[in-house]
Order: sequence, then structure tokens, then C-alpha cells
Amino acid sequence: MSTCWHCGEALPANPPLATVAGVSHAVCCNGCRAAAEWIDKLGLADYYRLRSSPSARAPDPQAAQRNAQTWQRPELARHVVRTLDAKHSEALLLIDGIRCAACVWLIERSLSAVAGITSVQVNAAAQRARIVWDPARTDLPTILAALAQTGYSALPLDAAALDDARRREARAALKRLAVAGFGAMQAMMYASAIYLGAWGAMDPATREAMRWLGLLVATPVVFYSAAPFFAGAVRALRARTLGMDVPVALAIALIYAASVIEAMRGGGEVYFDSVSMFVFFLLVGRYLEMRARHRAGNLADAMARLVPAFADRIQTDGAIERIGALELVPDDHVQIAQGERVPADAVLESAASRVDESLLTGESAPVRKSRGDGLIGGSLVLEGPVIARVTRVGADTALAGIAALVARAQSERPRLARAGERAAAGFVARVLALAALCAIGWSLVDPARALTATLAVLVVSCPCAFALAVPAALTRALSVLASRGVFVVHTDAIENLALATHAVFDKTGTLTCAELDLTSIDALDPDEALALAAALARGSTHPAAQALSRAAAGIAPREARDVRTVAGGGIQGTIDGRHFKLGQRSFALSDNSDGADADSVILAEGVHVIAAFALRERLRANARETLDALRADGVSVELASGDAQTKVEAIAQRLGIESWRARMSPADKLERLHELRARGARVIAIGDGINDAPVLAGADVAVALASGTELAQAAGDIVLDGNNLPMLAQARAIARETLAVLRQNQRWALVYNLSVVPLGALGFVPPWLAAIGMSMSSLVVILNALRIGRTPAQTQPIVPTLAHTTS
Amino acid sequence: MNILVVMIPLSILLLIGAGIAFFWAVEHDQFDDMDTPKLLPLLDDPSPKPADAQHDDPKDTPA
Repeated sequence: MSTCWHCGEALPANPPLATVAGVSHAVCCNGCRAAAEWIDKLGLADYYRLRSSPSARAPDPQAAQRNAQTWQRPELARHVVRTLDAKHSEALLLIDGIRCAACVWLIERSLSAVAGITSVQVNAAAQRARIVWDPARTDLPTILAALAQTGYSALPLDAAALDDARRREARAALKRLAVAGFGAMQAMMYASAIYLGAWGAMDPATREAMRWLGLLVATPVVFYSAAPFFAGAVRALRARTLGMDVPVALAIALIYAASVIEAMRGGGEVYFDSVSMFVFFLLVGRYLEMRARHRAGNLADAMARLVPAFADRIQTDGAIERIGALELVPDDHVQIAQGERVPADAVLESAASRVDESLLTGESAPVRKSRGDGLIGGSLVLEGPVIARVTRVGADTALAGIAALVARAQSERPRLARAGERAAAGFVARVLALAALCAIGWSLVDPARALTATLAVLVVSCPCAFALAVPAALTRALSVLASRGVFVVHTDAIENLALATHAVFDKTGTLTCAELDLTSIDALDPDEALALAAALARGSTHPAAQALSRAAAGIAPREARDVRTVAGGGIQGTIDGRHFKLGQRSFALSDNSDGADADSVILAEGVHVIAAFALRERLRANARETLDALRADGVSVELASGDAQTKVEAIAQRLGIESWRARMSPADKLERLHELRARGARVIAIGDGINDAPVLAGADVAVALASGTELAQAAGDIVLDGNNLPMLAQARAIARETLAVLRQNQRWALVYNLSVVPLGALGFVPPWLAAIGMSMSSLVVILNALRIGRTPAQTQPIVPTLAHTTS
Repeated sequence: MNILVVMIPLSILLLIGAGIAFFWAVEHDQFDDMDTPKLLPLLDDPSPKPADAQHDDPKDTPA
């Protein structure tokens, strides 16, 4: 076993050992060791048998303890803890590293061992835990420390998040769905009694009673379950647009009103069953859409994860105090330790350091910063500690700026009113006009038959088939795609996906993994050189060092001494009494020649080059196939990256992409998108990083990878689960199929209506025939929709991806 | 057909009862997380009593 028993990461040269259930296991760090032994001590070692994927790397126990204590500060506690009553306080924690159900089991068990905790609810999908405790017996830092001990880092969310809008929405939707379901079943029962009774001998009193019962069960369905459609229709009409809700609301109102009138008159047919069923079908579609949206996460959670919660402020007397990052003000001096995130936009005041800004700019290589250079809040300090002066905080930071850009691009996106919606709404309006004409005409000719004929027009015209034509197809597509790991957040993404002409890909994290691959070794004795380099590189977190370690996995390990990492250069150390340097050319040879080939790593002894290792970015599995499939489908593919020219060019060549742009800032990418769209293109944007979020939000269809940052997912219309890039091409095929079915449905509804409405208006359609026609036309629409996705998913070779990173 | 006079009101009462029960369950967090609980029983093998002192049951302590 060469990986950590707890988190599955690569082991260092001399791994610590954790003893669980009497057996020693090698782990990667002290954090993982402490977590494993603590879990064993609690008697929860079964977790290791139950889990389906390795845990997240455990936080460092000392740092976790220190962070937990910081939440004791009243300035911070005020924001995150809500006092329910004297004996109960409540907080909502965002927990990192919930990978499977076993994590939920472990968290619930381990926290119930802490005295004073009244309730723990862990939601794996949202990665949140709601915890209620007795403030007299325990406190938030104890709870956070207990979580950290079990190996999970937790972040208390602002107390405002406790009034969870998403939870309220989900609950309301579920209740509406249940009422519609119950109502539809019951109404159907009474309706069958009436239909069957028409052939047998049903006395008029029973018939009458069945009608009133139908009214009884359908009324809550129309007034409670269907309320969102009416509200949406009113909103749309106020804004002088015709949304999807307008025809739906009109259809529901018409059928219900017609049935109520008939029930009152005691005359013709009632359609309470149809209207309830109609509402139920539509709500199922809405519910699926809502769940996909919730799964994709929200902007606020994404921001909370990115912005560091703490800062080490340097007091005027030189002491360092750990405070909450939101307490910082400009001109504060902060110290940032190695491996920590910059708490706010700042200016470097200490010696040079390397900073990883890949999360924000998409540039994969670490950036060298010297005194006076700006640091972006949220970037990772690779060599520290450094001292920085805070320049901008809160909403003024670059990170908050990106989030604002996302929000704006999202709200500005012209959501094209679907052609189908407009047609349906226009059609319903025409039917209404026709019904009015019919009523006036008949009341002049034969007032006794006016009402029957008018109702026949309303019923036989079946706005249902028209209103269902679009949602039935979309709902089916949504559930087919979800079962294949493609979560559609906004349904209009399906139409746009089918019609897209361009696809703009991000590079880092989307087409490539964060890992590097060793491609060639230029040395006299490659194996020996690799063994030496791997000995130096072992234990380093730099991607190049990890690539070397991986490549050397099969070679007998060598032991390096006095290994030292030099800021922005490389690693040096002694092996068997010989002194080696490994790193960029300028570092390894101590000369000033500029590193022309940034991806090449040099191993040198003194001034002699022993080996040059050529490295390149690893492509994501099936990236090439996905692009080929899209191109074959007539989509022109572009690459837009924030990374350096040479790297983007290399990847573009390997993937056969002709149109590529490098060094693009989020705003540049958005600009490029506007340019394409101004030329009439419909653009799919595919990305995973924070820097991609604005582009995603501004595209016609935004596809985010589920392995990417939360911010990108929050901006996405479609979230691809499990790094499954090739599903994009299949999703497009399903989207096209959906569009075809949708058009068939609409044509069918139109033809049906054109043929029966005139007959209805002239009074030739008896009520029972109108009812059958109405049900059949809706049924045809739904059965047609079920054809979508009948071709089984093409099986993809399952490629294990260890990459869990972002651009 | 007189039996309908009893059965139909009864079915409606049952319907309302089921509706109330469902609303109660939704309000009491039963449907907030639809992904995890279905998996938990599969995992929930009887685990040994926690060795931790905080969780000691008085009955387990020898008299």
C-alpha cells in the first residue's frame, strides 16, 4: 500500500503509523493519524469498512484547534450562532469532505459522543450540518474541534443561512406535489364512477354526488397546488411577456371553471380528473428541475468556501492575533502562513514568495511575487510565512468582484422566450376569443345551446395538450439526463444545447487535470536520474515533484538528506554524499538563463546537468473524443484560458483545436463570448473554475463540472457529474431528440385542435366525445415524450480519476 | 348503493388524514435529505459500544 489509509493520498518517505482496532496502518500525515485513532477510540472503526470512497485529508490538529478557538470571539460568534432559547443554540456548518453516506454516519455518531449536543442533522447533498446544543454544557469551538478530530473541517455559515430558503422551497414544492397527487387519484376514482355509470344504471342523485365530490378534491389541487402557475402567469403578464406559466394557468383556470359551471348546472361533463392530473404532471416536472437546481449549489455557499474565514493580524506591539477575516480593515498587517489562503486583497510587504492563483486566474503555474506586489484574496501562499498589508476587504475584493460579475451576467442573460411558449400562449388567447365569439353567436341564434357549445369549444380545444407539449418533453429529458449523471438546472438549457453552434472550453481543470505527466527524460542513465530526482521530490506538493514521484513508483527508492525547498526555484538535497539541485534551469544551474521551457525540470550536480525531465499537463480522460464528437456534430470548438501562451498552444495542438486564446481574464472571456453571440452564435461554455464562473453565467448554455468549484456550479445550467466530459456529446444528442419530440407534440396539438374546434363551435361535438378527445390528445403528447432517451447510454470506459482539483 | 354514503366520507377522511400526516412529516425534516438516509441502514451494522468515558451506560459499570 503506497497510499494513506485514511485519505488515500500518496505517502511520504517515512509515514506515521496509525493503530486502528489493534492493526497499524500507514497514513500520510499527523492529521490523518489523529483522526483515524480518534475514530477508533470512539468505537467507530467500522467506518473504514463501510465507506465507499477514501476520506478527505484530515486537517492539521493544531491548526484546527486554533481555528476552532477563534469562533469563540464574540465578534464572530454573533454572526454564526442563533440562540433558540436559554438551553438551545443553533448553528449551520458547511462541512468539507463529506464523500459518502458513511461520512454522515461517522459525523452523527462522533458528535453524539460530545456532551451537550441536542441534535445533529447532516445533509450529504448540501454538505451542511445543522447542530443544536446546550450553551451551558458545550460551545461551538468544542463542536468544531470534535469534528476536526474526526477529520472534517467545518465552517460555520452566517446565521442568516439558518432560514434556509432552499429548504423552504423544497418543502413547499413537496407538499404541493403531494396534494396534487392525492387529489388526482381521488378525482380519477370519482370520474371513473361517472364514466362507468354512464353505461349502467346510475341514478341521477349518485351521479350528481360524484360530480360534487370531484369538485371537492380538485379544488385544493387548483387553488393550492397550482398556485405557483397562477402567480407566475400574473408576474409574466405584469412584465408584458408570455411565459410558460401563462398558457398553463389559462388551461387550468378554463377547465376548472367550465367543470364548476357544469357541476352547478347539473348538466354536461365535468373534467376535475383531467385538471388534477394535469397539475400533478406539471408539478413533477417542476420538482425535478428544482432538485437539480439545489444539487448545483448556490452562490453564497460557494463564496463562503472560498473566502478564508480567519486572518492572523499583527498588532501594533508585534503580537499576532487570530481574528475572523471579516474583522479586517484596510491597512491592517497580516501574517499568512505557508499553505494558507490570503484573507483579503493585500500588498506583499515581506520577501518574495510563490503564490498559487490558479483558482482565480486559471494560470496553472505558481506566480512569483516580490515586495510591493498585490496578492489576490483567496490565493494560496506556497512559501511562507509572508507579511502583507490589507488593501481591500469584503465586497471590494477581486473575489467578491468575480461573484458580482457572475450575478450580473446571470441576470443579464437574455433568456430567450421559447418559441413554443409563445405559440402556446397565443393559441390559448385565440381559443378564448373563439369561445367568446361562439358564445355571442349562439346566444343570437339559439340561447339555450350557447353555454354547451362554448364549453365544448373550451374543452375540446384542449389547451392541455398544447400546454403539456413542452413540459412533458422537457420533464422526460430532465429525468433521462439525470439518470446519466447530467443535471439540468435550467430547462431552457436543453433547447440551447440542441441549437448551440459554438463551444468555448476552459483549459485547466476542464480539458486537463491538475496533474503533470512525465513525457521524456533526457539523460545518460534515465532510471538512475529518475531515482535521484524522485528522492528529492518526495514529500513536495508541487505538481512537477508529484509527477516525478509517480513516475518513479516502480524504481527502488533512494534516501535524500538535508532536503530543502527554495522559494520559487526548486529543491536541493544530498544523496549518498553528493549534492543535487532539482528545479527550473535558472535554479538548478544557478545561472540567470531564463527558463525558456517552463515545463522542463532540470536535475543538476554543481554545474553539470544530469537530466532534463520534460513534463506536460495530463489531459482529462476522453477529452479528445468529446471534442471530436462535438465537432462531428457541427459545433465549432474554442479554447479560452487564463494560462500562459505556450501551455494553451500545446494543449490546443494536442486536441486539434484551431481557435484558442491565452491569458484571458474572466472579463476577457466574457467579452469573447459577447463577440461570438453578436455574430449570432449560440454558445456552450464549459468550465470548472472560479475564473470561469462569469463566462458560464453569460453563455447560452453553461456546463460546469461537478468536480469543479462550487462557484462554477452555481453559475452553470448543466452540471456534469463525476468528471464525465463525454456525456456532454450524449446530452446534446438527447437535447436534439427532445427538441424534435417537442415540435412533434406541438404540431400534433395544433392539427388536433384545428380539426375539432370548428366542429365544437358549431355544436357537433357531444360532451362525452369532447372529454375523450381531450384525454386522448394529452395522452398522445405524454406517450410521445416517453420516447426520449430510449436508446441506452453508450457505456464509457470507467477511468479512475484521482484529480480532485480546480483550475 | 347506500354503503357509498359511509364509504365515501370515510375515504375522504382517510385522504385528509394522510395529507395531514404527510404535511407533518415534511415539516419535521423527514424529506429534507432524500439521498443519505436510504443508504444508512445498509451501513448500520451493530458497532461495539464506544470506549469513550462520556458515553458510559450506568448499567455497564460493575456494581
